[in-house]
Amino acid sequence: MSADKTGGNFAPLTLGILPLIDAAPLVAALHGGFFEREGLAVRLKVEGSWASLRDKLQVGAIQGAQLLPLMPLASSLGLDGRTTPMLSALTLSRNGNAITLSREVADAMADYRRCDAGAGAREQALDAARALARLIAARRADGLPPLRLANVYPFSSHRYQLRYWLASAGLDPDRDLSLRVVPPPAMVEQLAEGRIDGYCVGAPWNDIAARRGIGEIVAQGAAIWEGAQEKVFGVCRDWQEAHREAYHALLRALLAACRWLDEDNNHRQQTARWLSDGGYLNVAPEDIEASLDRQRGDIIFFDGVANFPWRSQTAWYAAQMRRWGHLAMDPDRVKAEIEDTLRPDLYRRAAHSMGLDAPIADWRCEGGHGAPWHTEGAHGPLGMLPDRFLDDAIFTP
Amino acid sequence: MSVRVLIVDDRPARSHHLEQALIEAGFEVIMTVHRDDDLHDQLDRLQPDAVIIDAELPGRDTLEYLGHVGRRYPRPMIMLADQDAPELTRSAAEAGVSTYAVASLQPALVRSMINVAIASFEQHSALRHELTRTRESINQRRRVDRAKTLIMERRGMNEQEAYQYLRKLAMDRRLSMHELAGEVLTVLDRETKS
Repeated sequence: MSADKTGGNFAPLTLGILPLIDAAPLVAALHGGFFEREGLAVRLKVEGSWASLRDKLQVGAIQGAQLLPLMPLASSLGLDGRTTPMLSALTLSRNGNAITLSREVADAMADYRRCDAGAGAREQALDAARALARLIAARRADGLPPLRLANVYPFSSHRYQLRYWLASAGLDPDRDLSLRVVPPPAMVEQLAEGRIDGYCVGAPWNDIAARRGIGEIVAQGAAIWEGAQEKVFGVCRDWQEAHREAYHALLRALLAACRWLDEDNNHRQQTARWLSDGGYLNVAPEDIEASLDRQRGDIIFFDGVANFPWRSQTAWYAAQMRRWGHLAMDPDRVKAEIEDTLRPDLYRRAAHSMGLDAPIADWRCEGGHGAPWHTEGAHGPLGMLPDRFLDDAIFTP
Repeated sequence: MSVRVLIVDDRPARSHHLEQALIEAGFEVIMTVHRDDDLHDQLDRLQPDAVIIDAELPGRDTLEYLGHVGRRYPRPMIMLADQDAPELTRSAAEAGVSTYAVASLQPALVRSMINVAIASFEQHSALRHELTRTRESINQRRRVDRAKTLIMERRGMNEQEAYQYLRKLAMDRRLSMHELAGEVLTVLDRETKS
């Protein structure tokens, strides 16, 4: 029995989020009463940056946070802030990112585009990358400076999705472009002012630029890696070891909130209202509603066993880091750290306690599924969503 | 040669205080910039030895990135001071100070700079009654609720209608709900007084 529970209730907890659409599971868990139902008293603290979330987790000022999928591993390996072993047993969301280029660049690329508007998302994304490569070659011949593209954080899905997309057309992100990090809320303004030429960011910043006519969405994140892990729930290992039951209750509450979000589009609209009325996100309510809407946006919170913390998916991001020279550590050490950081066993315990089945494997081959498929669960086959990469690659960790 | 420091802070009173304190301690403050400034360009242009930034500002992620991509950029202090100063890291976090410094700076200088910044931020925070973002968000929620209630009373609408009405206004004017609520309350308060 853990010492963190008295009289059926846990000690109050503070969880950190960023002002983003995909903070939805934590906001829904709070306002929808899912935390309360588990005996948890949770306060959500909105931070200004990933660095700030990381610092507060590492010094123990908050107990858990919405994180980018590479952050728990990077913290455990000592790459991000102070070396602090973290763990994650829950994926909070998948998809939601896109690449937007300025109106000017998109127009300049138009002559090089080969596929029409009717083509699929993947063909469009590949075609746009090829057109950008030709534009960049032409600009270089004219002696023009490299285009400036932004993403959100060193250890971000956005950074590696953007680089994967650029590389699909033979572009070298470090040689052919000037890459930088801009805080998401500032991206649209910087694009409008011509201080950057494009970006890879999550909802709603792509749609906002498109609606304002200052940018064009040239690739959906889902076209680069369909169903890519986007946000995870992370805690420090020390904290989890001292508060196992509170952590288990948090997983149950968040899993229930994710299920509720994907159950009914009205639940998503209700969450859009919480996000906008609660002052979590300083954008027009219409933009929040559109990004959360199941028809208009592509964010997944639960369907296709979306919450399972596949070790192979973190390994894919780590492989991308290695590909670009951002990770030089011994591969065996990285693999061991992935095993300690990604905890499918803790996910299964929470899922099974709620009557939900879970995959029996911890690792899988990533990619190769262009249509829904099945994986083996403890109680039978489990329906999974497509996981195709832009270039049809298969990643075997 | 003196250490060239860039300050990133939105609060003029505090950054002015910090600037004076740093100069007294022998540092050179090359500039103070605002959250909306393009930090990537500023760092390329000014090439500071160190950056002191309000830990709450979103621009920190730009600094984190630069610290990872090139040796000539300041790196997060937490990585430099890891072994010898965990206490310093903690008190900086509590004071809301975040520091980045180039690898060539002597640890003693970095520590002294961070101490100046912590003292300055703490002193400033003792003088002001600043709303935390959490408090702000509660107030924002209250403001939306109040605007909704007033609209319900004035226009005889039910809650859902009042919400839809506010939402439509916010959408048309591309304001967030609490920004719009603020304006609605200002207008309605004025009407009440006249």
